[in-house]
Amino acid sequence: MSPEWCDSPTAKDYSIDELIVATLADCFKDGEQACNGMASFIPVAALMLARATHAPGLVWIASSVGLEPRPDRIPASTLEAPLWRDSIMYVDQYTDFWNFVLNGRWITKFCVGAAQLDQHGNANNSVIGEDFHRPRVRLPGTAGLADMCSIDKDLYYWNPDHTPRSLVEKVDFISGAGYLDGGDSRAQLGLGGGPQLVITNLAVLDFHPQSKRMRLKSVHPGVTVEQVQDATGFELLMAEDPIPETLAPTCEQVRLIREVIDPDGMRKRGFR
Amino acid sequence: MEQKLATPSEAISLVNDGDIVALQNMATQAAPMALVRELIRQQKRDLGLVVLVGGIAVDWLAATGVINRLIGAAVTMEQFGLCQQYRKAVEQGRVRVEELSESLLNARLGAGARNLPFLPSRGAIGTDLIDQNPQNLLMLDDPFGGKPVVACRALVPDVALIHAHRSDRFGNIQYDPTAMWPDIAIMPKAAKRVIVSAEEIVDSETLRHHPEKTILPGFMVDAVVEIPFGAHPTSFYPLYSYDSRFHLEWAAAARDDAMAMVLLERYVLGPENQQQYLDLAGGAATIDRLRIRGADR
Repeated sequence: MSPEWCDSPTAKDYSIDELIVATLADCFKDGEQACNGMASFIPVAALMLARATHAPGLVWIASSVGLEPRPDRIPASTLEAPLWRDSIMYVDQYTDFWNFVLNGRWITKFCVGAAQLDQHGNANNSVIGEDFHRPRVRLPGTAGLADMCSIDKDLYYWNPDHTPRSLVEKVDFISGAGYLDGGDSRAQLGLGGGPQLVITNLAVLDFHPQSKRMRLKSVHPGVTVEQVQDATGFELLMAEDPIPETLAPTCEQVRLIREVIDPDGMRKRGFR
Repeated sequence: MEQKLATPSEAISLVNDGDIVALQNMATQAAPMALVRELIRQQKRDLGLVVLVGGIAVDWLAATGVINRLIGAAVTMEQFGLCQQYRKAVEQGRVRVEELSESLLNARLGAGARNLPFLPSRGAIGTDLIDQNPQNLLMLDDPFGGKPVVACRALVPDVALIHAHRSDRFGNIQYDPTAMWPDIAIMPKAAKRVIVSAEEIVDSETLRHHPEKTILPGFMVDAVVEIPFGAHPTSFYPLYSYDSRFHLEWAAAARDDAMAMVLLERYVLGPENQQQYLDLAGGAATIDRLRIRGADR
């Protein structure tokens, strides 16, 4: 735990990936549990930052395998060793991990990356195109995303490339359930939780409490509301007027990210 | 006890054209790659592949026309990108995909292992995965009055291909402490036949020193093959890491059919045994580079 983190001044020198990491880190609290999947440099950096600052008791299951690991930095894969170095337990997947996750008492939040995200927070990592069996682009597939999105978890999306192609009115295929058609359509299927925030390279977005449509919550320093709307494939609702600026990370957060957590800059992968 | 030792060729002759083959593999981890190469060398056809998260193995099997369908949760080489030959095969309609989330795949295989018609899950409710797959996934009301669930129809693969740390000659299989992904836990119990490649074949006495490491009894196993570094170029913890150079070489070639075939000739069709394959992949220097030491073991 870094004693300096709480009085640290706002950073002037930071990059957008570091702002996203710090914003996502704030979503995780002391005493919660979290896990990560593959190619998840931003969530892993955020969890490590939260543990190094305000949430030292945030339990982390690295790669959904290694309980409370002590990696010396973020490696090139977030799905395998050495991310799970020095773990207290290797969590057996078929039994323990899916028990932890499906039960609902633990691991109540999950970070989601998706090729497409729509105005109701539905995610697509499966196919681009109309025909599932002759897609224009075959994406990797849902992996554990479809499970995480349907079992009452609070979902936090990260998107390093906010464009009309990645934020669309309606996804080509729902491989992770958000608020479905909006309104109470998610609740009607008995699903709790759901999308909370979308943190992109331009802005932070949330969802209207009733309509469940995506809203602009804050714009990152130097970004205008018009820029965000132009980069979005549907009309955004506004959470407040005027739209505030996203808080920049602190000097100490930036130092921890750069020098301790991710000196190799893995978090920058996926950013233009 | 019955002896289960076999050569790669003998073991893979247990796979028939058209079979559903369950393959251990988590992206760049723990695939029985020597067995995969033997599937290609024997020119198996029309196989259906069951895989949790397939990596380079799936790309090779798609590129060589061995598989025509895939049941799985994802296919990706993670940091090395999408599997381009697989992607092209799906986009052209040569490989048909049944996409399942991890909990749905676990439920289908779990039902197969226990001889149940189905097992329920709460995963993936509300997604298009369910509407897309009415043959195998159906929403079901809880007979006890709770929330609805997804009924996941039993899946019984014809064969499971597994890689493990050691075995005796009777096919009692040991796995050292490391990540245990769901595939190693459930695929061999659901499948009708099980083929295992092991880093080493040891005397049964050696297994008795650590019975807690034994994960499969010999009576479930049909053939076991000794193949050191048998998961290369995927990682096999705690012994060796994934081969970045090899994956990068393949990822660069896989965008072009002719270049992909050159590498497949070189690494898959050419070498007659594991030693010849490893020599082509860099031999002792590669083995030394990938072996895990110290704190990461």
